[in-house]
Amino acid sequence: MYMPDYEYHAPGNLAEACALLGELGGKVTVLAGGSDVLHKMKIGSLAPDHLVSLKNLKELREIRYEQGRGVVIGALVTHDGIYRSQLLQEHFLSLPMAAHTMANTQITNIGTIGGNIVNGSPLADLPPILVALGASVKLVGRSGERVLPLEEFIVGPGKTVIAQDEILTEIVIPDQATTGSTYKKFGLRKSGALAVVSVAAAVTVEGGTITDARIVLGAVAPVPLRAKSAEASLKGKKVSDAAIEEAAAAAAADSRPISDLRGSDEYRRELVRVFTKRALRKAIDEGHV
Amino acid sequence: MSKNYNVIGQSKPKIDGPEKVTGGAKYTGDLKFPNMLHGKILTSPHAHARIISIDTSEAEKLPGVKAVITHKDVPTLKYGLSPARWDENIFCSEKTRFVGDKVAAVACLDEETCYKALKLIKVEYEVLPAVLDFLTAMDEGQPQVHEEYAKNINTEIHQEFGDCAKAFAEAYHVRTDTFIGQRTYQCPIEPHSAISMWDGGKLTIYSSTQSPHYFQHYIAREFGMDIGDVRVLKTFVGGGFGGKLEPTGLEFAGVVLAKLTSRPVRMFYDRAEMFAHNRGRHAQQMEITTGVDKDGKILVAHANFKMDGGAYTSLGIASAYYAGALLPMTYEFDNFKFDMFRVYTNLPACGAQRGHGAPQPKYAFESHLDNVAKDLGIDPMDIRIRNARRADTVTPNDFKINSCHMKECLERARIISGWDEKKKNKVPGRGIGVSTGSFVTGAGYPIYRTDMPHASAFIRVNEDGTAATLYTGSVDIGQGSDTVMCQMAAEAMGYRYEQMKIVASDTETTPLDFGAYASRQTYMSGTAVKLAGEEVKKQILDMASFMLSVPPEDLDCEDGIIFSKSREDKSVSFQEVARKHFVLRGPLLGKGVYTPPKLGGTFKGAAVGTSPAYSFGAQIGEVQIDAETGEISVLGIWDVHDCGKVINPRLLHGQVHGALFMGMGESVWEEVLFDDKGKIINPELANYKMLTAMDMPPIESEVIDSYEPTGPWGAKEVGEGSTNPTLGMFSNAIFDAMGVRVNSLPLTYEKVWRALKEKREREEAGEGA
Repeated sequence: MYMPDYEYHAPGNLAEACALLGELGGKVTVLAGGSDVLHKMKIGSLAPDHLVSLKNLKELREIRYEQGRGVVIGALVTHDGIYRSQLLQEHFLSLPMAAHTMANTQITNIGTIGGNIVNGSPLADLPPILVALGASVKLVGRSGERVLPLEEFIVGPGKTVIAQDEILTEIVIPDQATTGSTYKKFGLRKSGALAVVSVAAAVTVEGGTITDARIVLGAVAPVPLRAKSAEASLKGKKVSDAAIEEAAAAAAADSRPISDLRGSDEYRRELVRVFTKRALRKAIDEGHV
Repeated sequence: MSKNYNVIGQSKPKIDGPEKVTGGAKYTGDLKFPNMLHGKILTSPHAHARIISIDTSEAEKLPGVKAVITHKDVPTLKYGLSPARWDENIFCSEKTRFVGDKVAAVACLDEETCYKALKLIKVEYEVLPAVLDFLTAMDEGQPQVHEEYAKNINTEIHQEFGDCAKAFAEAYHVRTDTFIGQRTYQCPIEPHSAISMWDGGKLTIYSSTQSPHYFQHYIAREFGMDIGDVRVLKTFVGGGFGGKLEPTGLEFAGVVLAKLTSRPVRMFYDRAEMFAHNRGRHAQQMEITTGVDKDGKILVAHANFKMDGGAYTSLGIASAYYAGALLPMTYEFDNFKFDMFRVYTNLPACGAQRGHGAPQPKYAFESHLDNVAKDLGIDPMDIRIRNARRADTVTPNDFKINSCHMKECLERARIISGWDEKKKNKVPGRGIGVSTGSFVTGAGYPIYRTDMPHASAFIRVNEDGTAATLYTGSVDIGQGSDTVMCQMAAEAMGYRYEQMKIVASDTETTPLDFGAYASRQTYMSGTAVKLAGEEVKKQILDMASFMLSVPPEDLDCEDGIIFSKSREDKSVSFQEVARKHFVLRGPLLGKGVYTPPKLGGTFKGAAVGTSPAYSFGAQIGEVQIDAETGEISVLGIWDVHDCGKVINPRLLHGQVHGALFMGMGESVWEEVLFDDKGKIINPELANYKMLTAMDMPPIESEVIDSYEPTGPWGAKEVGEGSTNPTLGMFSNAIFDAMGVRVNSLPLTYEKVWRALKEKREREEAGEGA
């Protein structure tokens, strides 16, 4: 448990940071809260030559609403910051509540939303609900910036499409037509638990009919997984237990779980069914919670 | 027992509370000494491997490295905790026996250099086939963990008391169940650490230890030193739970590194290294057979066990004996048979964890007893009350029970939990379970053979009488023994707790005491402290008698005031008398010593489980199970303990809560897991799921008004006894909720989910047929 040798950098602003990332040779890792990066370095699974800290990029610590874009969350906002954000609580309480289910107080005080996304973990707590809400991410590099759906950003366990000189700066959640959303996580204790299975759901219900649904599964595929056949099964249906059950079964079939120390594939698949059902029921009945 | 006490029986604030809550308390790892070096141990990456060569030359060349040591630099004497099987070396010389076995160590100017130096030590291994499954470890053709122990048998026990065959033949109902208990680890929050230093021929070690005395004894033995030349002391300790009872590589390697460099050497285990050092709970297979009469009265029991010892013995022989020895405690039966194999495997060594060998066998027995009750259509509470042990009885394996309120504990728990009401009005998915437990109040015999008393204490009253210092070898590892000892000293002296000071757990300044294990200190150390206090009181009354011209028999002393029992006008303060004593008669000192009486039978292994007194307790727990996920919510726990006279109620209930916390973890959440190469896959606190404060249910902890005639003021143990019923209690509550039994620990959500699913499938198949 010790930190391998590395060179530490703390650029003063975003432009400097991007320039530095472009110039540095060898393995470069961007440091935000550090709850994933430092842990990986200590257990020896990550040994960068350079650590580039974003601590001076104060503008990335804000949450604001921009007309036409939606809610813009700076990448360095901590999980606790998300949980406590009045703006987010008013727009979609489901996201603050998801941040609240994460890990424990020590981690939520330091871990950031950007880090949680860039880390690319299939069992991360924020990506499923963000994908369900249709969030996009902004990446800024030396040669400019690009915006892409979060869903396309994470491509495998620990893998994203970010380039070496890019920094994830913002997460944008667009104005919603959805009428409800929620995040359900199944962990093996009440605090400090990793998801065995998680399910995020966002639904649009008009006059008792489900016109749209997004269901995103965590910890049961290499990436936060859209349960597309489950979503499709709901579209145009009247809200009913049968419709929800059918979608839940479809989500279980969509999932691709593995067996590990937190649960078998068989158990996880069944948990997907149970929590898809519960998440849909909650999002339909209670709105954004 | 209606005597009013001035100091004991009260929730006095912890004597070290302010230091701990302000962060002022220094633990071993916080200490710094001039010129101190940092040390680290290189361990085996293989479960079983022959060491072909070790090349330390590159490490030695690294700047900042002050010493590199291997088996060539250390004594070859084998050590262990149970003297019958010393089987461990400071460093492996020919082969390594588990992932984490000690191979070499370094001492460097700083910690970082240690890690770099370790990487530069080149060890060439020939990987050998490993023994990873304790259930097949004795089979023909299995690799040998130790050449000298055939079939990997570490300990073999066959005991029989009474006439079991006859009792089984006469029984109305005979049933056998088999259960599996898992490996767990104590997980003290403070990691192990040690700082070793030499001054000429004298060795001093600061250590995070439960027993400075055993450390002193075993370290002196290993290095061929006189006991008097080895000083072991602790500062504050952040928990032990059985895992800090024996010296580790931190002390053994640290001593050699300090000698070679002539500098203090600080060493510590990180969390993963703690898991590898282990000495936690053994995994066990437990087959239980009982024969009962038609009313559920137990006539005979046979326990047929196998346990996974890991690569070394540690205290495991005692664990193996304890597994059977404490089974006939809470229920009375005359015929008992116990068979046990403790086997070696290429996994970390197991040892004593809170409750020692008892909690898992108790889980098996209590689960089995509920199955028997169901077979006979008897309420689980009734079958226990029917069999409950009574005071002044003797167990089939010759343990003498003095005070015992087993039945009252059950009856009280029945009332406060609303047992009958809850049994009558079943809520779907909800279950309630009961279990019992008992534990030794200190072991009747020391860990190594000696005729030394088990505990001793001095009290020195300050020359002007404004304070008194208790010198005790007893060991406060967070449980509050310093507080309890000071309360007892003040009570015995007739002094005030607030004026007590304490010096404890230092083999050079405090008298011998075996330390914090086997729930012994309040009783054994406390008896020595009480005697020391009474010796002070006798002298103070004698001095006061002279000052007041009142015969000493007419004087008493309470709360710092000496008074005549017959004349109200005659009184004087303790302080004034103590001062006068020093002026006229010299230092006012008291001393006390405790040796248990000769206990137990004469059969092989009769010593394990002997104790001058035993605690008893009943636990009831209520759970709610989510049938779709198997998730277990604990709605409430009710614990009723018979622990004799309570010295400090708040600390007592703290012990019950702590024991429950650990027992809960072992019941449902905690398990050390290995990959197929014998490497631990969860040596950290994210996936080794110790519970959090958020997971703790409401707990009602009560005590029965009880008095142990042999104990100081009637006290007996509490620290471990409350862990013993917990695993069985959860098993029974979950059984009650589901109507189906999970036969292995931990009773995880997934196992519960699977059991329910299979039950549902059976029922559906049954309906279809």
